Amino acid sequence: MAQEVNLDSLKELEREAILQVLYRDQAVQSIEEERIRKLQTQLQHLRWKGAKSAGREYTGKSCARCQSVLGLLLHRGAVCQGCSHRVCSKCRVFLRGTHVWKCTVCFEDRNVKIKTGQWFFEERAKKFPNEGKHETVGAKLLQSYQKPSKISVVPPTPPPFSKSQCGSSPGRLQELGQFKGFNKSVENLFLSVATHIKKLSKSQNDMTSEKHLLATGPRQHAGRTERRSQSDTAVNVTTRKVPTLDVLKPLNQQDSKSATLPVLKQGNHAANLMPRRSFSGGSRHGSLISINSTCTEMGNFDNANVTGEIEFAIGYCFKTHSLEICIKACKNLAYGEEKKKKEFFCKTYVKTYLLPDRSSQGKRKTVVQRNTVDPHFQETLKYQVDPAQLVTRWLQVSVWHLGTLTRRVFLGEVIIPLATWDFEDSATQSFHWYPLRAKAEKHEDGVPQNNGELAVRAKLVLPAGPRNSQQAPEGTDEPPPNGQLCLVVLGAKNLPVRSDGTLNSFVKGCLTLPDQQRLRLKSPVVKKQACPQWKHSFVFSGVTASQLRQASLELSVWDHAVFGVNDRLLGAARLGPKGDALGAADSCAQSKLHWQKVLSSPNLWTDMTLTLH
Amino acid sequence: LFFPYPQMASATDSRYGQKESSDQNFDYMFKILIIGNSSVGKTSFLFRYADDSFTPAFVSTVGIDFKVKTIYRNDKRIKLQIWDTAGQERYRTITTAYYRGAMGFILMYDITNEESFNAVQDWSTQIKTYSWDNAQVLLVGNKCDMEDERVVSSERGRQLADHLGFEFFEASAKDNINVKQTFERLVDVICEKMSESLDTADPAVTGAKQGPQLTDQQAPPHQDCAC
Repeated sequence: MAQEVNLDSLKELEREAILQVLYRDQAVQSIEEERIRKLQTQLQHLRWKGAKSAGREYTGKSCARCQSVLGLLLHRGAVCQGCSHRVCSKCRVFLRGTHVWKCTVCFEDRNVKIKTGQWFFEERAKKFPNEGKHETVGAKLLQSYQKPSKISVVPPTPPPFSKSQCGSSPGRLQELGQFKGFNKSVENLFLSVATHIKKLSKSQNDMTSEKHLLATGPRQHAGRTERRSQSDTAVNVTTRKVPTLDVLKPLNQQDSKSATLPVLKQGNHAANLMPRRSFSGGSRHGSLISINSTCTEMGNFDNANVTGEIEFAIGYCFKTHSLEICIKACKNLAYGEEKKKKEFFCKTYVKTYLLPDRSSQGKRKTVVQRNTVDPHFQETLKYQVDPAQLVTRWLQVSVWHLGTLTRRVFLGEVIIPLATWDFEDSATQSFHWYPLRAKAEKHEDGVPQNNGELAVRAKLVLPAGPRNSQQAPEGTDEPPPNGQLCLVVLGAKNLPVRSDGTLNSFVKGCLTLPDQQRLRLKSPVVKKQACPQWKHSFVFSGVTASQLRQASLELSVWDHAVFGVNDRLLGAARLGPKGDALGAADSCAQSKLHWQKVLSSPNLWTDMTLTLH
Repeated sequence: LFFPYPQMASATDSRYGQKESSDQNFDYMFKILIIGNSSVGKTSFLFRYADDSFTPAFVSTVGIDFKVKTIYRNDKRIKLQIWDTAGQERYRTITTAYYRGAMGFILMYDITNEESFNAVQDWSTQIKTYSWDNAQVLLVGNKCDMEDERVVSSERGRQLADHLGFEFFEASAKDNINVKQTFERLVDVICEKMSESLDTADPAVTGAKQGPQLTDQQAPPHQDCAC
């Protein structure tokens, strides 16, 4: 008597007969598993559709399933015994012949258990806890025997039963219990590949649409501060070809994995809405800083009255240089929909940045939690950051409402300077509730609003020799034919570097003349430097002093991406008669002074350090 | 009501010629195992039910075999995967391995064969050992058409069934007596067990044993078993 299930003791013809049966069974099993998968998917959809899920608190003023408002006296609803949620009378299913009812989701949950045979597996697990869910006894046998053929009749042998097999049973059961269904494992493999591909493609949407937003930047800061033309969006359609290289980096894996669902939605929304956004773009900050992230960073969001708290923990592993922010929950959040103060409309997610880096690479998001003002996230957002970089950063944790199509609603934020954070103290690593705050006004939150400093040397070259432009009234001045604005971009420091502490940076220069003519120049890329030294000359020729007096020069520093299209804007500064409208008043005045000095002292180098915004 | 199955000339042919219902057009799937001594008529019983065919020739089952049949019961389409096992000792390791996947059992003996009846107790022990705790078992005394050769009276069969806590049928695969009823009854008791296991885990409907109808409020009452 064989101790384990194999066909070795059988004749070849018998073996083949049994293998035939096993193959047929395999076909039946795979159909069944496909069916079960469909059923489970359907139930999942019903759960998502239904508002409240088990284990979540809610105020109970609306039906947990259809969201209809429940009254105080009439239509009060009743609590489902299954999930303890209050539901209206329409969302109950009475079990036949009784007054016992369940809510639609509990009822469907039960149905799915029946239809999938889950009830049986649960019952069986009481006796065989190690049993695989869908055991296929023949699966393992099939793996070792592969050649089925015809068989003939086997003569009968006496059938007595003996108890002797019982002795061998425990070991055999164990052995069988460890069978991994063959079909199952192949299917799992396929499934995991398929889902992986899905995830990747979803993430790709995310990346492309964000780049799409990012790429609208250059035109904006080329002189027009408040508005961008609608055609910007059309121009950047090409950015959809953006490779998903970033997504594949281990750094971002956690993010792309955990944020699959909301990311897809936001990506789509953002893409759809670009034309509309572009008219209001930058109205809040009017700042270049906005360009290096998504629309929310551009001030394209609504503000709710910030209420509530967020619970999270921060941990940093000095060995792996991994910063982990474990977002647990929020409570008492403001309603994202001002007019519809119902939990049904709540779609909340949490986003983090390691300021001053507001780039998409530095963004982490949780999935969207729906239907509650007290969402539970239980998600860990990870960064790879060098310890040296860590202390220069501020952790910004912001809570957002994913509005219908057009909008994000800001629900509050917490900003934590990591410089003073004690990562070795276990107390600081545990979960804490932090009160959410309204968006800090500039300079109030301690977060530097500058994105580094750019050292530049500039000179106005006028062939007619030195002239005092201050003495020449603008209207009467004859323009010298071949004026040149020479610029040497020396270097930059304190840039918002990548989390590995480096950059592949380059500088773009754009001189906008009074007739809106633009002259653009670009420096080479300096690789892997946090404080790049380009020492690169820009020469804008064919300009006159009077033109320059009304012109503006914008210098922007970029982090070069491999394929160019998703270069990241690190910061920019503007020189011109109106000064740097992007920055604060003092830097505005400073840039105005610099510009005047350059224009008033032709053929002499003027050194300046520009603050990037 | 049932799918038209082609009449098979012989058991051997139909074993390879049967078509599995490959569609997913059913509500749930039950796995049933037929066990009992060799030559009590397990394979004939299954062929009668699944194909409505009968051949008097004896073909010993090699190890295991199964047939699929979808039935309509209590307003549900239930796909049955019915495993036919070899009664012979030498296949025991394979057949017992399939006990764990079965929700219900048909334990069969031959009313003209005393030895097969005496083995019922042992088969029952096998079920207890290898199957889940709530395994539903129907005891079936086959070949009831052979009244002249009967050695096991109906009364003994019924008593043993009562003793073991099984339901009892006498049946004939040859004359198509109680074959369909046996399977349908087994489906019903599995459904009852299913509701029970779901509802004991669920305070909402504890004590409300409604049988399979519990699962669907629209379904008309169909409490009676067809036997």
